[in-house]
Amino acid sequence: MTPLIELRNIYKFFGGLCATNDVSLTIGKGEVIGLVGDNAAGKSTLMKIIAGVHKPTSGEYLIDGEKFVAHSPRSARNAGIEMVFQIQDMALVPELDVADNLFLGKELYRKTLGLNLNLVLDRRAMQERSRVLLHELGINIPAVTEKVKYLSGGQQQSVSIARTVFFDARLVILDEPTSSISIKETRKVLDLILQLKAKGISSIIVSHRMDDIFTTADRILVLRRGRKIEDVRKEHTSMDDIIKKIINAEKESMSQETLNQPTA
Amino acid sequence: MERKESGFLREHGRNLGMLFTLSCALGALAIFSPKYVTFDNLVVVALQMAFIGIACLGATYLIISGNIDLSIGSIFALTAVVAAMLAKSMPPLVAMLLAVLLGGLLGLVNGWLVWRVKLSPIIITLGTMAVLRGIVLLLTGGYSIRSVPKEFSVFAQTRLVGIPMPVIVLILLALSLHFLFTRTTIGRHVFAIGGNREACHAVGIPVRRLVLGAFLSNGLIVGLAGVLTAGRFGSASPAFGVSLELDVITAVILGGVAFNGGRGNILGVLLAVTLLGVISSGIVSLGINPHCADIIKGVALIIAVVLDQLSQEARERFQKNLAKSDR
Repeated sequence: MTPLIELRNIYKFFGGLCATNDVSLTIGKGEVIGLVGDNAAGKSTLMKIIAGVHKPTSGEYLIDGEKFVAHSPRSARNAGIEMVFQIQDMALVPELDVADNLFLGKELYRKTLGLNLNLVLDRRAMQERSRVLLHELGINIPAVTEKVKYLSGGQQQSVSIARTVFFDARLVILDEPTSSISIKETRKVLDLILQLKAKGISSIIVSHRMDDIFTTADRILVLRRGRKIEDVRKEHTSMDDIIKKIINAEKESMSQETLNQPTA
Repeated sequence: MERKESGFLREHGRNLGMLFTLSCALGALAIFSPKYVTFDNLVVVALQMAFIGIACLGATYLIISGNIDLSIGSIFALTAVVAAMLAKSMPPLVAMLLAVLLGGLLGLVNGWLVWRVKLSPIIITLGTMAVLRGIVLLLTGGYSIRSVPKEFSVFAQTRLVGIPMPVIVLILLALSLHFLFTRTTIGRHVFAIGGNREACHAVGIPVRRLVLGAFLSNGLIVGLAGVLTAGRFGSASPAFGVSLELDVITAVILGGVAFNGGRGNILGVLLAVTLLGVISSGIVSLGINPHCADIIKGVALIIAVVLDQLSQEARERFQKNLAKSDR
């Protein structure tokens, strides 16, 4: 089966700095990837390459086995790749209600004088579909007519993730999805990621919290100085191993690495 | 679990407050100045308010989108003066139409400058405010444009079942904007842009087009107000619209529009315009020093904004706690 996403020998240089160094990876349909690494390991560069924010310096990017050139976040989105940002720089509009936010940019319309003018909103249909979707995903929100600014951090995060479903996402990239939300709510957000998986939607989770990674991920990738140094199924590793890979490995091969590559 | 929204008071509290204040003011006037609360007088009051009311509608649209135009007073004067001057040499209706379009063009220029320079719209339009006022003074030499053909005033001075045309224009415009804001994609996107521009970019909403559209509409609407004012008086003064922007912003903010954009409603703005109009004219009719009106207006604005802030904060705290205890 062709993987949903395949990266082959991706390099990304920022000036003389090699942020992504010969990274190859595959993401299957419905697969959840945990992406870990210390600060400046190249996680966000890799994420941004997949999300179309950065163009790789060299290497191949394939979606469904076909070569894909992400010119912009827009073209990646059209290919079904959605990025969910941290809630601090939230992608929601606080003054609009939940349903409006879910459908932002993809509103449903009513016919105007029997014509499809795409002008008059079909609010009832949007609210109804929002209710169904949120229920399906097990998201607990007081009302879809509640303004987003009145929701808790976890609820807001859930709404931004749920929105990717409306945008027909095939791969959802989550950058620290559980930072700055309460521990109780963290569980809900992680459940949501598993819900997406059940719908056949793949995700990449970047997190510093090993618990998050081990709860959700099928496979774990460890990055260090732009290189992929581990790519392992969750069953074949442990938290300790991964943490060692992130930290200890650095000491072992420090001297050799620094000779080969400028530091990130 | 779906909890039914109990937000009627929250969403409409401010409007109810203004309605209550307005009723009290009218009640007091009915007792102390019976002549004020007659149909004829109220029509005059409504006519006085109509022009600023129309200008407020344009500004509401623009402020909700997260922008502002301080040059509206100057646009107002320029369109009035240009309409009156053109009406001397061409059919008045054509002159009026051209002047309104000029207003739209000037609004668009403001929008384009704000977009390109990426500076605060306050600074940009402060500049255009001075430039346009200067042009008005140059064009007129500082004198009013008089002896305009009578037909020029026909539209603004007509009454339909006793209601002056400017008031009817205000009502129709308000209804259309209300529909636009609450029922259409354009309205929804304008609110969204005012609320979180980055998010709108991210989901592919044509932000630039909508913001320019808001500036354009604002210019057209202010131009309409200017032309109607010239029509009403049958002349146009270069001093038209001086400090109009301040009166308009006062009314719009009092009406519950967030200065930073993203929130507001037409009914609130109409109520605020009415309230301010009744305060000004009511004080005169009560024989109180008219300068007191300014003090009352200022205090009303501050009270409204403070109440708003407090209730928002309380609401946010309450809701967040609720969400947490729900888990």
